[in-house]
Amino acid sequence: MTPHLFAAAPKPRVAVLSLASDFGCQVALSNFPQLLESLETIELVYWQLVLSADLPDDFDIAIIEGAVTTTEHEQFLLKVRGVAKTIITIGACAGTGGVPGMIDSQESLKQAQQEVYPSGQEGAGATPVADARLVPRPVSAVIDVDYTIPGCPIDSGEFSNILQGALLGVNERTEREPLCAYCKIIEAPCFYLMQGIAVTSAKAQGAATTATPCLGLVTQTGCGALCIGKGRPCTGCRGVAIDANLPAAREFVRKAGRSVEEFDAALRVYNSYYLEQRSGDEHHDSA
Amino acid sequence: MIYKIISKGALADLFAGLQETYDEVVGPQERGPAFVFDKLSSVDEVRLNYPSTILPPTKYFLPADERLFRFDRSTGDVYDSEPAQGTRAILGMHPCDINAVLMMDEIFMGDYVDPYYETARKSSFIIGVSCMPEPGHLCAAFGADEIHRGFDLFLTDLGDRYFVSCRSVPASELMDSYVRSCEPSAEDINDFQERTKRFKEAFAPMPKMDQLPLLYGAKYFDEELWERIGDDCLSCGACASVCPCCYCFDVRDKVDPGGKTGMRHRIWDSCLKSEHAEVAHGHNFRPTRASRVRYRFFHKFVGNFSRTGKMLCVGCSRCGKACKVGINPGSVIEALQKEYLPDTAGVEVFKGGGAS
Ligand code: SF4
Ligand code: SF4
Ligand code: SF4
Ligand code: SF4
Repeated sequence: MTPHLFAAAPKPRVAVLSLASDFGCQVALSNFPQLLESLETIELVYWQLVLSADLPDDFDIAIIEGAVTTTEHEQFLLKVRGVAKTIITIGACAGTGGVPGMIDSQESLKQAQQEVYPSGQEGAGATPVADARLVPRPVSAVIDVDYTIPGCPIDSGEFSNILQGALLGVNERTEREPLCAYCKIIEAPCFYLMQGIAVTSAKAQGAATTATPCLGLVTQTGCGALCIGKGRPCTGCRGVAIDANLPAAREFVRKAGRSVEEFDAALRVYNSYYLEQRSGDEHHDSA
Repeated sequence: MIYKIISKGALADLFAGLQETYDEVVGPQERGPAFVFDKLSSVDEVRLNYPSTILPPTKYFLPADERLFRFDRSTGDVYDSEPAQGTRAILGMHPCDINAVLMMDEIFMGDYVDPYYETARKSSFIIGVSCMPEPGHLCAAFGADEIHRGFDLFLTDLGDRYFVSCRSVPASELMDSYVRSCEPSAEDINDFQERTKRFKEAFAPMPKMDQLPLLYGAKYFDEELWERIGDDCLSCGACASVCPCCYCFDVRDKVDPGGKTGMRHRIWDSCLKSEHAEVAHGHNFRPTRASRVRYRFFHKFVGNFSRTGKMLCVGCSRCGKACKVGINPGSVIEALQKEYLPDTAGVEVFKGGGAS
């Protein structure tokens, strides 16, 4: 008989945790057609969305959704890092700060709080707005992360692939380059070409154009150019690629006759934290 | 080689013959403002006067993502390792692309035979078609504007008829069974020569290829030059994706959700990515964009040349259109030659702009 590679090792205990998010990635997970097969490989000990169990004191793998927006989140993450051997973040909020990260300074945090809770209360008779609110950050700004699954929401197939890799102890393997090569692979004509044609003909007709600049120029590949294939420019949900060359990309946008401000504004939706970290770093990026 | 003349209308008969003989017929079609090779269900879909396609037809021999085999971790079994089956006729390949396939053949069917490539290649029937150079086409500089082998049939467009070169037994059989043709007359041959003359004269001045491999070697350590060319690179790898002569791939395993079975596959890779030259312990021997761009063209103009006597470029211009920052063989050769040969200034260099 061939030796069985699955000796009866105990299944890793997995907790699914959430910080500040809209649960979109957890919903994507729960809709995963092969979820039950995936669950056979682990012991799910905590998942607020589907289980009633309380968070146990120990587990092996933490799957974390959401951005860090309070001091409580920070303390929680430090505790989780002390317990779990492996940390996997899912989604843009946990990975890049995501949409919550659009609040990117103390001033914008204060302003948002005043707009949302003009009375300073979070609800009738509720706790006062905590001074403990923080400018949103990705999980990796607080603790070491072993695997990052990007996207808004995540692709459950990619999740499964990375989870199985984590279970086998495979090193994290992040796609480093931006998306454009994948547009060639699916043979989608580039948005800058298409929009260039649209802008030229709109201008000829005296009409305004409102096309969003495509962020695939700097966004981490791995989605299969999903949006472009469906006729929408990339919105940057997978985060700025490690290999991205932001200054050169902006220069291209400018030369293509598009607005660099619009490009940057679009980029801020998912990548404000990144941009803040790198602000002032405007010279050419040769690495 | 056998030469025939067929009317333009006879293309429909040729197509019918291909459809009956091969599992699939593919050819250039419109996609928005661009063209792509895709499955043809009728002869009306094909655009034989296309300028170029986003991806080269080499994608049929080395696909962007190809299963190598499946495995079962619990038993150690390997299965589904057979190359994809089925025959295919590729209608409408330009001379540059057929030349590129001949170079790929040396790589994948030379010293080491790649069974996946070989199977796809040997089950293909290739019909070339004549073209006219578009801005940026550099085939003439690389000697890839003519093709004399590597195809089954080649159609030269003479306006109202095709001059057909028939290079293989299956091609002759197909012609005999499906297509009404006649022997070329003196006038046909004259028109063929005229057409060739027009083709050759239609090229913009080509970049100066003088001593290119040596020159490249000599300028290899000119850091300033390479930073000037390479620092703008977006590291997107689009250039390598669209190149009919680029053949790097990465091999990866994907484990299925249940954890027991999985697939090993290969996907296109490129030397423009920072990971390409990274080795154990994270050392990267091409850590900068400049060093990676320099390497790309080193491989094309020097590395492959010193091994096979051929540069790994057929001048098809796809990378020139795909690259958003204007890095392409024409612009690199121009930059190399400029200081030595100031008279090259004025050579038309296609600056790109993400047009594909
Ligand atoms: S990702 Fe966007 S910018 Fe890049 S090639 Fe695709 S459409 Fe063009
Ligand atoms: S590069 Fe040359 S062979 Fe290729 S399509 Fe252009 S003119 Fe024809
Ligand atoms: S390097 Fe560029 S021009 Fe040369 S064969 Fe490749 S894609 Fe075509
Ligand atoms: S297409 Fe241009 S920008 Fe993109 S990797 Fe190639 S050289 Fe760099």
